Amino acid sequence: MNPNINFNELWAKQKTGEPDIEDLLSKMNTFKKSNLKKLIITNLLLITTSLFIILIWVYFQPQMITTKIGIIVTILAMAIFVIGYNQSFVLFRKQTNALSTTEYLKDLLAIKAQQEFMQTTMLNLYFILLSAGIGLYMFEYTVRMTAFWGIVAYGITSIWILFNWFYLRPKQIKKQQSKLDEMIGKFEELHEQLTQNESIH
Amino acid sequence: MVFEDLYKSYWQKIFRLCMGYINDYDLAQDMAQETFIIVWQQLPKFRNEANISTWIFRIASNNCLRQIEKQKRFPKAALPVHLKEEKEENIEPQIQFLYACISELPETDRIIISLELENIKQSEIASIVGLSEVNIRVKIHRIKEKLTQKFKENES
Repeated sequence: MNPNINFNELWAKQKTGEPDIEDLLSKMNTFKKSNLKKLIITNLLLITTSLFIILIWVYFQPQMITTKIGIIVTILAMAIFVIGYNQSFVLFRKQTNALSTTEYLKDLLAIKAQQEFMQTTMLNLYFILLSAGIGLYMFEYTVRMTAFWGIVAYGITSIWILFNWFYLRPKQIKKQQSKLDEMIGKFEELHEQLTQNESIH
Repeated sequence: MVFEDLYKSYWQKIFRLCMGYINDYDLAQDMAQETFIIVWQQLPKFRNEANISTWIFRIASNNCLRQIEKQKRFPKAALPVHLKEEKEENIEPQIQFLYACISELPETDRIIISLELENIKQSEIASIVGLSEVNIRVKIHRIKEKLTQKFKENES
């Protein structure tokens, strides 16, 4: 074979059919919408729950300060979750795909690091606030019960909270973390591929 | 800049870039489509001071590199399937071999050589990838040597 293979010519011979542009455009719209839908649903869900809790406050007029603090802390927990969730969405939207590859990989790594923070620190904060809120909220209604039922009520709630903390939370974190770690590792490797030879000259 | 025009003039080029990266016909088509979805979304943000070709190739290259986290973002079934059936049928083994060799290179090298083979100026490749021109030239030289070597081995 000719030692000077014309790679460019070979390269250009690879052809493919063009997908119908109308089809592509309509699919783009659905994609955009489905992403937005998820965001709106999460927001709505947590806002409705918060409103429901506020309604309880208004209708049942809790007497003790602990109940009120409990309600506020619970709503705060949900607000923090929503804000965090929305922020990570904004981050991805803001991301500029049109950066040079080197810059882009740096950008991606920064986003992933922030995501990691969101998924651990924020999730922990959410769980702690939510548990504290529920615990405080229950107090007013529990003191009206007999000691036995009071212990049962707090016992069951504590078991539920502990189950969340020691089982659901680590499971959730682990699931997201392993995926993130894998990606961060890969992006770091790619970034290195680009930068390691820079010093040769 | 009209999306339809960009689509017409860049579809084959972007497809080849993806094909060089992944060497899987169906996946490469998906990736090329994803690229155009991003182009379409970001076109309003495109500032005219940048070169449109650099801009599109940057998006395409970055999209290739993000391939590992793609599966969940764009469910495969959601992309158009009505493609003009013009599959790999009559493709020469040499073309297949070239794409196979390229897809075995380190990820970033795949992109650099694909852009070079697409006859993009080295200064533009440098700007797409974000490395110096000298660096790009050296990389391209090495990659081409590697490819020639592989073709020779394949020959014997």
